[in-house]
Amino acid sequence: MDHSSKRGDRPGVSRRDFLRGTGAAATAVASLVKVPGVEAQEAKSGADVVAIGPGPVKLSLEVNGTTMTTNVEPRVTLLDALRNYLDVTGCKKVCDRGTCGACTVMVDGKPIYSCTMLALEAEGKKIRTAESLIDGGKLDPVPAAFVACDAQQCGFCTPGFVVAMRAVLDANPKATPAEVEKGLAGNICRCGTYEQMRHAIEDLCKAGGK
Amino acid sequence: MATKWPENRRVIGTNVPRLDGPEKSTGKAKYSYDINRPGMVYGVIVRCPHAHAKIKSIDTSAAEKMPGFRALHLIAREGTELYYAGEDVLAVAADTEEHALDVARAVKVEYEVLPFQVKESDALENDRKTLAPLGPRRERDNLRPPQTQESDEFADGMKNAEVTVTGTYGMPVISHQCLEAHGLVAEWGADGGLTVWASTQAVVGTADALARHFNTVHKMDMAGKVKCITHYMGGGFGSKFGPDVQGIACAELALKAKAPVKLMLDRASEITTAGNRPSAYGKVTIGGKKDGTITAFEADTWGTPGTGAARTVGPLPYVYLFQHKVKHTVIRLNLGNQRAMRAPGHPQSCFFTDCALDDFAAKIGMDPMQVRLRNIPPDDVNAKNTDPLSYPAMRGTLYKKQIEIAAQLSGWANKWHPPGKGGDGPIKHGIGMALHTWGGFAAGPNDVTVTISSDGTVLVQTSTQDLGTAQRTVNAIVVAEILGLEPKDITVQIGENPFGRSGGSGGSTTCPSQAPASLLAAVKARDEMFAVIAKKLNAKVEDLSITKGKVVDKASGNEYEWKKACALLGTSRPRGVGTWSGAEAAKQANAGLSKGGVGGVQVAEVLVDTETGVVRCKQIVAVQDCGLIINKLACESQVAGGVIMGLNYALFEELIADRATGRIVNPDMEFYKLGGINDMPKIIVHMIDMPERGVIGIGEPPTISTHAAIGNAIFNALGVRVPETPFTPDRVLAALAKGAK
Ligand code: FES
Ligand code: FES
Repeated sequence: MDHSSKRGDRPGVSRRDFLRGTGAAATAVASLVKVPGVEAQEAKSGADVVAIGPGPVKLSLEVNGTTMTTNVEPRVTLLDALRNYLDVTGCKKVCDRGTCGACTVMVDGKPIYSCTMLALEAEGKKIRTAESLIDGGKLDPVPAAFVACDAQQCGFCTPGFVVAMRAVLDANPKATPAEVEKGLAGNICRCGTYEQMRHAIEDLCKAGGK
Repeated sequence: MATKWPENRRVIGTNVPRLDGPEKSTGKAKYSYDINRPGMVYGVIVRCPHAHAKIKSIDTSAAEKMPGFRALHLIAREGTELYYAGEDVLAVAADTEEHALDVARAVKVEYEVLPFQVKESDALENDRKTLAPLGPRRERDNLRPPQTQESDEFADGMKNAEVTVTGTYGMPVISHQCLEAHGLVAEWGADGGLTVWASTQAVVGTADALARHFNTVHKMDMAGKVKCITHYMGGGFGSKFGPDVQGIACAELALKAKAPVKLMLDRASEITTAGNRPSAYGKVTIGGKKDGTITAFEADTWGTPGTGAARTVGPLPYVYLFQHKVKHTVIRLNLGNQRAMRAPGHPQSCFFTDCALDDFAAKIGMDPMQVRLRNIPPDDVNAKNTDPLSYPAMRGTLYKKQIEIAAQLSGWANKWHPPGKGGDGPIKHGIGMALHTWGGFAAGPNDVTVTISSDGTVLVQTSTQDLGTAQRTVNAIVVAEILGLEPKDITVQIGENPFGRSGGSGGSTTCPSQAPASLLAAVKARDEMFAVIAKKLNAKVEDLSITKGKVVDKASGNEYEWKKACALLGTSRPRGVGTWSGAEAAKQANAGLSKGGVGGVQVAEVLVDTETGVVRCKQIVAVQDCGLIINKLACESQVAGGVIMGLNYALFEELIADRATGRIVNPDMEFYKLGGINDMPKIIVHMIDMPERGVIGIGEPPTISTHAAIGNAIFNALGVRVPETPFTPDRVLAALAKGAK
């Protein structure tokens, strides 16, 4: 991962302490820290090891065009960093394991489950959340179609769907309704707003995603 | 003169996009889960991993030394007996969510593991008595004494039957699976007051319950000092009526930590501990004549409410008034307690009745729609005189009309075929129907306040909550109608208990309680406004009226733009408080403002792959009445949502307990299935508007009959009954294999 090279000068604990201190999430972080010649399981000495955590490290994210900084432990997911540390709460925490899509955000234009990405992995990338789809009173056509067709009830799943749909239409403004639906296959709504969502998709596709 | 709904309605009954739609769809709306308070810390609950155990010891010494530890609250003690895997032991708080989880992991609890039972069939075979002592005799029995009921002429009905059919049917325990988990943020103020931002269906009830807890346990005086805020909430479906264990624990932690605490359940806890829909299994026998007349209905049913003791089925027989004999046995198991779930008991009752009816129709070789038409309950003659707007007075006429509309919209006449004649290839077509009923009456008192200001703004305040029904928009539509404005001109504030009384949003009671209260409040505020400005206009109060955007003086013929008329108010702020309740609705003089008692008919069409067992639902028609419709757009989306939930019951949902460990094996969203957009059929909603009845709630009825309609459609496709939901490929293939024998 490209950001690992930027952390060379960070104060940190040794890899061994790091692995001992935390669990599975930490192992995932460890694999991010690429140090030539050092196997993940075995560090010969502390000197040549560049490691981060387990304590908080500086995190800088570009969210909706604004740079935001905070300190998080390396095990913190992008979802938790956004919600708990940066107060960006349009992405919702529901399953927290990559099933429901409520946490969907765009990372460099691609829709991803922010609960399955570590916050540090997102450094240097452009993060876009549902909040970017309203500017003053002006609504982006995707949420506007959701509102007009009443494709939301409790609304807890809705920002995730809206981001996923925006991403599909950004990638292919000529997408057919079937293609848009395919792009929403990773999102779940409990209130059952799919029929109204189809009305919204139809309207959006007719208008070329605008 | 009693206030009535306006006869010519300009806004009511039209398609009004929900007012808070833009905030919700763009993530700007702050749900309880989204509240971040300065200095806030995070709470986590430590839970028992065993299905039945006694706590031997609790050691928190290591946990309390963990980084970030802030507070500890014991829910259970040494010696406490716990009755299901996931039951609450204690709660901890730490400065970050990560630390809170670390602290929780460092708590050491030793258990004496005790025998448990998590399967209905096991308990029926051998009651191991593994539940909490109950009743005066302190019985630990898992099987409760059966409840039975028999109508006077049941025996004759069975005797007169020319044909009898017996079938078994069942529905497993399922989860509410609210996307916003149960939970809250709790914060104590310097004045000793407690504020909670809770994900709840009962704002007032939650505040009251928290006050009661601190009054009783801590001998505090919390009267008027607990504020509950629920501006937005992410689904409840019957499972969120109070602070629950986590609500009390969170407020306790906040008191000890001297900091605001957020405690939201994680997904696994949400599913295993925050309520579920109880299971229901049963054997049903229908007896009747070869012309389709059903003469007797017998049902022996059982199900588990988990550790609770509540019945797991609703009225039986359902909708129809057959001569009947019914028995129900509650089976207590070491599983999370059931909670009300969208039309409690009704989907279960509907499934038993409507599936058995189709099996009977098949046996006598009749179209099940004709059997329904022959057996729907007739209009009640007495009710026609005493209460002509009531459900009993119109049920026969109503169902006949609804069945006809559903048949026409679904193309029943052309699509229905005898069961098992769903085509020659491996993919079979089928169509099925089911009926339901629900109340949807106004409930306890709801207060709505409408205030008009001299700048023309109108403020509506009420403590009720919006579960996703576009409640704010209901209030705005009604007030806009009366004041000649548009819904977007009205500012609506909801979800704060200081705004007055309101009941929990259960039983589809919110709209029929809130809409009339809004009407009364708006009329009062308008009349008070007239009283103030009449003098300044040299007009008589009785000559003033409102049309779209204007106040009109009938005597002079003068018209005043709304804002100009309001400008005359000066410093006075006309204010009207409207209160509505079931008691108000029951008064003769108030007839026509709100009502209850609805019918509904659904028709499902499926394609079943007999090689893979996969069921695809192609189309569902839902015909539904709900009195006076306030917002057509939101009403239809509510009905479609109900249908989709019913489809999930039919095809996907099942909470699976493991016999060996007593734990739920799928407390998640990958193995606890819910349909996505690609699984959805075309849904056709047809609302029957009956404005003369007044407002009726719509949240629950449309979810009741869907799974039975789908079950009957599968039966129509295959000619064999798949007896239990969800209709997964393995169950379909098993039924086919059994049918082939
Ligand atoms: S919360 Fe990330 S996919 Fe469900
Ligand atoms: S609108 Fe409630 S979960 Fe989708």
